[in-house]
Amino acid sequence: MNLAVLRADLAAIIGEQYVSEPAADRQIYGRTPLLVVCPGSLEELAQTVARLAAEPVAIVPWGGGTKQTWGYPPSRPFVVVETSRLNRILDYTPDDLTISVEAGMTLGALSAALAANGQMLPLDGPLPARATIGGLLATAMDGPRRLGYGSARDLLIGIRVVEATGRVSKAGGMVVKNVSGFDMMKLYLGSFGTLAMIASANFKLIPQPRAAASILCRAQTPAPLWKLVNAIAASQLVPVAVEYLEGLALAGAPFAVAVRSEGLPAAVERHVRDVSAFAQQAGASAEPLRGADHEQLWAAINDVPQTATLAADELVARVTCLPAELSNVLAAARAAAQRAHLPMQATARALNGVAYLRVRGSTEALREWHAALLKAAPQTTLLATPSALRAELPAFGAQIANLDLMRRIKQEFDPNDLLNPGRFAVGQL
Amino acid sequence: MNRAELIAELERILGPRGVVANPDALLTYDADGCVMDTHEPHVVVLPTSAEQVAAVVRLAARAGMPIVPRGAGTGLSGGATPMQGGIVISTARMDKILQVDTANGRVLCQPGVINWELSQYLKPFGYQFAPDPSSQKACTIGGNIANNSGGPHCLKYGITASHVLAVQVVLPDGSIIWTGDGSAHAPGYDLTGVITGSEGTIGFVTAAWLRLTRLPEAVRVVLALFPDIAGASNTVSQVIASGLLPAALEIMDRLAIKAVNDMYKLGLPEAAGAALLIEVDGVEDGLDELLHDITAICWRNGAIDVRPARTLAEQNQVWAARKNAFGAMGRLAPTYYLVDTVVPRTKLPQTMDEVGRISREFRLPIANVFHAGDGNLHPIILFDRRDRSQNQRALEAATSVMKVSIDFGGVISGEHGIGVEKQDYMTLLFTTDDLAAMAGLHQSFDPHDLFNPGKVFPKGRGCGELAALRRSGVAWSALKSG
Repeated sequence: MNLAVLRADLAAIIGEQYVSEPAADRQIYGRTPLLVVCPGSLEELAQTVARLAAEPVAIVPWGGGTKQTWGYPPSRPFVVVETSRLNRILDYTPDDLTISVEAGMTLGALSAALAANGQMLPLDGPLPARATIGGLLATAMDGPRRLGYGSARDLLIGIRVVEATGRVSKAGGMVVKNVSGFDMMKLYLGSFGTLAMIASANFKLIPQPRAAASILCRAQTPAPLWKLVNAIAASQLVPVAVEYLEGLALAGAPFAVAVRSEGLPAAVERHVRDVSAFAQQAGASAEPLRGADHEQLWAAINDVPQTATLAADELVARVTCLPAELSNVLAAARAAAQRAHLPMQATARALNGVAYLRVRGSTEALREWHAALLKAAPQTTLLATPSALRAELPAFGAQIANLDLMRRIKQEFDPNDLLNPGRFAVGQL
Repeated sequence: MNRAELIAELERILGPRGVVANPDALLTYDADGCVMDTHEPHVVVLPTSAEQVAAVVRLAARAGMPIVPRGAGTGLSGGATPMQGGIVISTARMDKILQVDTANGRVLCQPGVINWELSQYLKPFGYQFAPDPSSQKACTIGGNIANNSGGPHCLKYGITASHVLAVQVVLPDGSIIWTGDGSAHAPGYDLTGVITGSEGTIGFVTAAWLRLTRLPEAVRVVLALFPDIAGASNTVSQVIASGLLPAALEIMDRLAIKAVNDMYKLGLPEAAGAALLIEVDGVEDGLDELLHDITAICWRNGAIDVRPARTLAEQNQVWAARKNAFGAMGRLAPTYYLVDTVVPRTKLPQTMDEVGRISREFRLPIANVFHAGDGNLHPIILFDRRDRSQNQRALEAATSVMKVSIDFGGVISGEHGIGVEKQDYMTLLFTTDDLAAMAGLHQSFDPHDLFNPGKVFPKGRGCGELAALRRSGVAWSALKSG
């Protein structure tokens, strides 16, 4: 590869000032990109990818860089393609309750634009000021309010991608209901950019609720809180989030459950009353939170799984399981953490069977903890690990079903393994 | 393999009761609810298990025969029509609800279970299966998954894709896989997501874990009458803009009101140009206050009558009229062509004006019953199929509706699917590159085009050809000079 020629060609596509040597913060587990490029339009992005594919050189899509520790590091030399200049709203008619945005727009900027019109996209990803829409979609990151409003899987209605060859294709549309053609959105969502690079996305929006409040329920042990969670599940209440919290200072107790209600004022107050009563019956305390306290609580909870700022000895994992198994999985994780003398923090979508765990400690202790966790929860994804452990631990759990079929899909969309090579469950060709 | 050998082999797999080969009987499988295109199958099989489906698929591959899946045959896009003959696999005998798992919010069932029967079965548990297509009393879960079906309540609860947690599928190579167990974020690509809505072209669903939705504590329904569609449409926008997400927002126009009046004795004033059905649900608290607010919005937008339905009996009567409106069309004409398109919600009034113009242009009455909250139109073109001129004009009117919907930023199907009916209109919506990406997905599952061939993609554009095009790179060129 002649890097000087590649660099000159890329500069001719996007402009000299947008092709740069990598800064220190563009590393992934110590791997440094050959170049960092920052296209400013869909056409520039497509041409950039086409040029890199012609070389061929591997591509690592980069949004806010808050989740680059997820999975494995790139397996080959690579160029980082940033989306930071692709940060525009492409189409927004508020009364249609839909929006089309470029992949590099941050969740925070999008939320601000929507709030001005009394609307929201309740994806609740961590670090909204930095995390981009493209990154949230590529990782299928979820948030506590998936319980009430669904995840990106339910809210994404259209997509435009640049494929591994530089070809541009779209699917879906700007309507909330659409069965015209295959649902390619589902294919790209959560595929870690290994099939195509997301250029823009269309979403279904939700009107902001008239009222909102939280009930923060605290206990010294987890048992009363799981009783509370079960009581909520058995009731006809419709909270938009039921989040289990463990080892977090923000909760003000070793164990807590935060319940979020949104809707009509009377309905929200009913949730406050009933959830408080359920909590007391279960043996937990209950504190209603409103206004700024309510907002701050959820902003803090949403950030718990963040992977942008990490200690050198920190491991972050996501565990998914059937909802009824979650308390046992967390108990196993807790017991293993105690055995290995690791302080553990957890935030879990209690009724969805999704938990994010953080532990810190020595390499040996983390290794022991992870092995125990994997037994209890085969679907454990590593979102960040100390560099020393990265090559050793399986990033996508104990087993990946249907890998042959997934490899055929990867082979069809990216036969030369140019897109995020080596980083995902599929595609380690 | 000749026909007799094929049938003998199928009978060995399925038993004699599981194979339909009588020519008269085969004729009844020559179409689904879309009667514009018909073609009979070589043979129909009625398996009871995934293993039987897989054995039939392997046999079909050896015999070089296509597989066409069929549920209740209520589809409106020809998805179950065996356009190239072949083996129709009916799910009629795979109709068991296998497990209700309330602790994990999921239910396991076979594809031949009828949508309505599933929800009735779940009621005593306090749950429902939320997607509720108008054909729900007949249509099957397998068909709902294949078409990613909608229904009035998907405004609030989402389309079928949001309610399918994992599927067991037989792949074109005859293997049987599960895409997950219903837990979130199964590692790797979202196979459940891409199989749902693929119209039986990449996998044959033999079982599914579906999401359970808790029955709401309380429901309120309002029927508001307006002099015209515009008043009803504006009400829809304002109800949503006021921070409310109703469970359903449905509109019927003058002609539809007349049809359901005749049939259900609703006593609606026929001077009304539009009837708007609004349903809200949730906890009891605040619902009456909400009903009051919605009623006020209706009056502000020129409603001539607003009728709250508080009792279950009243609500059921209103809903029966809406859900059976298509059946009531038989009172107006011998045949109807139900077109399914979607436009951005604010474009509904203009689109309805255009539908009126199309009705005049092609000299055919068009009734409208639609999911207003979603912008999902259902113009019902009334005609007499025996009249060749009317037949032709109905087709042309439907094409015009699709074109108008695209012009307003919409799409050609919201919930009925592409099938045969709309395959040649896909190019109005998608570029060759868009279609090629879909073909790439198709090729990774079904490289030999064994499952439901000749559907979804435009006629004459083979998936293999489209996918090959996609694999070739594009030339790059300098964009910035200097």
